[in-house]
Amino acid sequence: MHSYKRQQRLSLSLRYLLLIALVIVWIFPIAWIIMTSFSVNLSGFVSTFIPKQWTLSNYAKIFNNKLYPFGSWVLNTFVIAVICAVVNTFTTTVMSYSLSRLRFKLRKPFLQFALVLGMFPGFMSMIALYYMLKAIGMTNLAGLTLVYIGGAGLGFYIMKGFLDTVPKSLDEAAELDGATKWQIFIHIILPMDRPMIIYTSLTAFMAPWTDFIFPSIILSTDSAKNKTVAYGLYNMMSNTKGLSSQYFTAFVAGCVIIAIPITILFIILQRYYVSGITAGADKG
Amino acid sequence: MKSWKKIVVAGASVLALATVASIDSQSVSAATAKPKGNITLWVDTNNVPSYKKLVKKFEKKYPKVKVKVSTSPSGSASAKTDLAKDPSKAADVFKAPNDQLGAMFAAGYINPLSPSAKKWVKKNDVKLAGKAVTWKGQYLAYPQDEQANIIYYNKSKLNATQVKTWKSLTATGVIGTDFTNAYNWYPAFLSNGTYLYGKNGEKLKGTKVNNAKGVQVMTWLAAQKSNKGVRQSGSALLSDLEAGKTSAILDGPWDGQSVKKILGDDFGVSILPKIDFGSGKEKQMKAFAGVGTLAVNAKSKHQLAAATLAQYLSNHKSQVALYKGTNAIPVSKKAQKNKAIKADPVAKAVIKQANLSTVMPKMDQMASFWNLAAPLIDNAYKGKTPASQYKTQLASFEKGISGSSK
Amino acid sequence: MFKKKAHTAPEATFKETWQEGDWATKLSFIIMGISQLKNKQWLKGLVFLLSEVIFLVWFFYNGISAISLLGSLGKIKKLTRVFDKNQGIWVTKQPDSSMVILLFGLISIILIALLLVLYYVSLKSTRHLYALNRDGKHIPTTKEDLASLLDTRLHQLLMFLPLAGIFAFTVTPTIYMITMAFTNFNQYHPIGFSWTGFQAFGEILTGSMAGTFFPVLGWTLVWAVAATATTFVFGVLLGLLIESKGIKFRGVFRTLFVIVFAVPQFVSLLMMSMFWDNAGPVNSWLQRMHWITEPIQFLQNANLAKLTVIVTNMWIGIPVTMLIVTAIIQNLPQDQIEAARMDGANAFQVFNKITFPQILFVMTPALIQQFIGNINNFNVIFLLTGGGPLNSKFYQAGSTDLLVTWLYKLTMQSVPNYNIAAALGIFIFIISAVFSLLAYRRTNAFKEG
Repeated sequence: MHSYKRQQRLSLSLRYLLLIALVIVWIFPIAWIIMTSFSVNLSGFVSTFIPKQWTLSNYAKIFNNKLYPFGSWVLNTFVIAVICAVVNTFTTTVMSYSLSRLRFKLRKPFLQFALVLGMFPGFMSMIALYYMLKAIGMTNLAGLTLVYIGGAGLGFYIMKGFLDTVPKSLDEAAELDGATKWQIFIHIILPMDRPMIIYTSLTAFMAPWTDFIFPSIILSTDSAKNKTVAYGLYNMMSNTKGLSSQYFTAFVAGCVIIAIPITILFIILQRYYVSGITAGADKG
Repeated sequence: MKSWKKIVVAGASVLALATVASIDSQSVSAATAKPKGNITLWVDTNNVPSYKKLVKKFEKKYPKVKVKVSTSPSGSASAKTDLAKDPSKAADVFKAPNDQLGAMFAAGYINPLSPSAKKWVKKNDVKLAGKAVTWKGQYLAYPQDEQANIIYYNKSKLNATQVKTWKSLTATGVIGTDFTNAYNWYPAFLSNGTYLYGKNGEKLKGTKVNNAKGVQVMTWLAAQKSNKGVRQSGSALLSDLEAGKTSAILDGPWDGQSVKKILGDDFGVSILPKIDFGSGKEKQMKAFAGVGTLAVNAKSKHQLAAATLAQYLSNHKSQVALYKGTNAIPVSKKAQKNKAIKADPVAKAVIKQANLSTVMPKMDQMASFWNLAAPLIDNAYKGKTPASQYKTQLASFEKGISGSSK
Repeated sequence: MFKKKAHTAPEATFKETWQEGDWATKLSFIIMGISQLKNKQWLKGLVFLLSEVIFLVWFFYNGISAISLLGSLGKIKKLTRVFDKNQGIWVTKQPDSSMVILLFGLISIILIALLLVLYYVSLKSTRHLYALNRDGKHIPTTKEDLASLLDTRLHQLLMFLPLAGIFAFTVTPTIYMITMAFTNFNQYHPIGFSWTGFQAFGEILTGSMAGTFFPVLGWTLVWAVAATATTFVFGVLLGLLIESKGIKFRGVFRTLFVIVFAVPQFVSLLMMSMFWDNAGPVNSWLQRMHWITEPIQFLQNANLAKLTVIVTNMWIGIPVTMLIVTAIIQNLPQDQIEAARMDGANAFQVFNKITFPQILFVMTPALIQQFIGNINNFNVIFLLTGGGPLNSKFYQAGSTDLLVTWLYKLTMQSVPNYNIAAALGIFIFIISAVFSLLAYRRTNAFKEG
């Protein structure tokens, strides 16, 4: 009995040790990125784990550079992200509800069509989108927002999977009481759908902060102020040949600034993310 | 519908123009029109403030022209890509490297210079600059500055004599470079006596590199892998120099200021060394001499204003001002004699090296050239290409860069 | 149970409607909306009528010319230059912009298709009205029509805007992309190009691109399998470790791992490319410790770079799997596990018989999605290696390039090969479609529910 307990304790401490080792491996690069943002660097390249010289000036530099108006970028991205979160959540919700609960002739063909459509890689269509937006004079932030919300109707799979698991008997009972479909949607489905709505708005809010490809196509000829933060920062590194070394640490500082709120938001809402991925699978 | 209707309208009006104006490029008639209109200018982000100052002066001189200075979307090094995406949205005047001019001209993105402007450039700028923008007898853009790779070295570890030859340089110190960049190392082939697109860089089938000289260079590149005095620094070029892992680097003028900061009092500059590629004779290492230019967008609605601006920004005074603001090394004869420039070791070395070098060709196949040359050199250096394959690789490279439109 | 309860009278045929209908019904076959207006369905009638008027005006003003240009993609293919004496400058006349002509031609065709659909709908409505009149039934008023939008036809109300968005921002560009694969839109024809049939596909399968396409395709599949499998297996193991008996602060551990996933990829991956560099911190440190003398070519050696990419992807992907696995383990039927324990099952047997099947069951749809996502995983490759190291045997691709990053290079970089890229896009689609249709059929969202 005694040896069994000792064995147990040994096993537990070994597992703790392994877990802590893994955490260090996982967190270390992130810590390195944050440390780099506080380092003095002339060469635009980091070859050490821990900076030789520390400074706060990178953070001052990223906010005080007229050529790279970081503050405007953050503001632009925030506005786009809020619009996306609201509109995309609405779109996804009504699409999922319609496709999960309502019955109409083109429902199944549409589901298949949507599946097929989603499998074409998006890069080529970006060029077409650019010309379409240009034709209506919207190669700007508003046009970018339009692109982000325009395709949102196809992102219904996860929420539909979740709604499929909500028992239909709820709807039927309400229908017998004389409720219209609209009333069922508002009063019965929406409250049940809360975790998915939070998940959808979270992902929609985060997307504009990390996308740098779409803005680079649509916003490239607009002025320096009218950029999103991911594109602006990425552009700062990729288009300043020879001079990128001067901006490197400021770039990292800018990245850390936007990464922090997004990371915190994600951590707070991670349980909704889990329910999003596992949605629909619980019921079999 | 709007935009293509515009194209049709624009097309019709140009046709009308064509019938009115007699096609006579030889006569340099006095132009009667005056420049006017709102135009935009694309330059690199970091140079925007300097250009804004110049543009203010320009607007004073030509009050009917309003200029908006903004940043090249992907940087001037990618001018062609930015223009190709949508020429009608691109700036009226934009900064471009000379090797992309041929492709942009062939595609119809830019207008050649007028005969009078050509004369003006010829008179004002050094010979190299004119050569860099010449294409089939036409001048394609206004030259502004020149670039060529040089050697920066740490004076505490190397002296001026040691950096003169590759042998002594790599025996005493360690030189950092980047073999993945064809701009740095394709000139090795040129130094060993081969041509890229013929002698004048305009002949499609003029590349002769699949021969003994080419194989010599491939062999030499492979040997550098085991040379203790050579380091593939890649993107850590400056970082390695700062950390003392290298005592010299092969780099262009754009990093001059950063290197100065890193080396401080030990800052040394020299032209490229002499190299023996295996023929037993030491040959002066060439660089690609590049010329920064201002080109005029063929889609610009205010051609005259655009051309006038480009010419103004590339005149002797502007070139000196841009040197002071952005360290761009001028190509104007007069500007190169400027005291400040003569006293600048980087500018001096670059000007000297550029004259010893090959001007980057303007063939419209240049983009293919860059894409194919980089892996050719890198894989030879790394030893990924066995010696037995040198000839086949060189042959397929030659074929790949000499392809014409089908 | 959702069957329509009202208006189930036997419908008339179109022929009967045409022969027996009154003048308004007959006129509706040519001018949409007349019959609706006559029956006092004002809103419906006006919508039909106005659509037709607007369409016709557009069609004669713009549509005809847009479509007629579609065959040639522009008449002028060669550029010309003339000297403008008045201004003393050269003027270039570019070829007709085929890209624009193609786009607007396509939009015109889509508009015509939409009008035809609308025409069919209006005919059906006319026929319905005819049948109602014939049977002497009540004709719904505009008010009743609008009310039905909230009930029996709620899907029309809800899905109208999202569908319009999908058509404008996904369907049209996708068709546009597909058509480009059948042209010679490449570096030699950057402005004015023409139709060339299946030439681009031939180029990829047997022509000059084949030497790049097949190796890149092979690596794309290897990568997709390896990336999906490694993150799954190690994610499950990590999840089990965190949920194993006696471990405290599980939430803290989970969060620490998840941070990596939450950081935007263009930050973490761009920095990781420096992390693994020959002169980067890892190599520098190893050298300083004198464990190695020469830097390890994490990103410079082709095979090592592939491994580095997969390992770095594990760093990002494992936390996600772990997060889901821990959630599944927490919801396992404890009574079943207890019963199994009582019967003498050891920990491995419990895992094998209860835990793992449940994990696999819940995660199958997510795994399929991850696999497809990995085939198209642009970020990891583009930001980490940029496709490198360079490969002298490939055309415009490096050793770690996936099909999708190669496609990006073919369109966005110095030598444009749009037609090849568009054809590649179609190949990527076929590959994804084959895999997912095989797998998706079994998942819940597509079972008839």
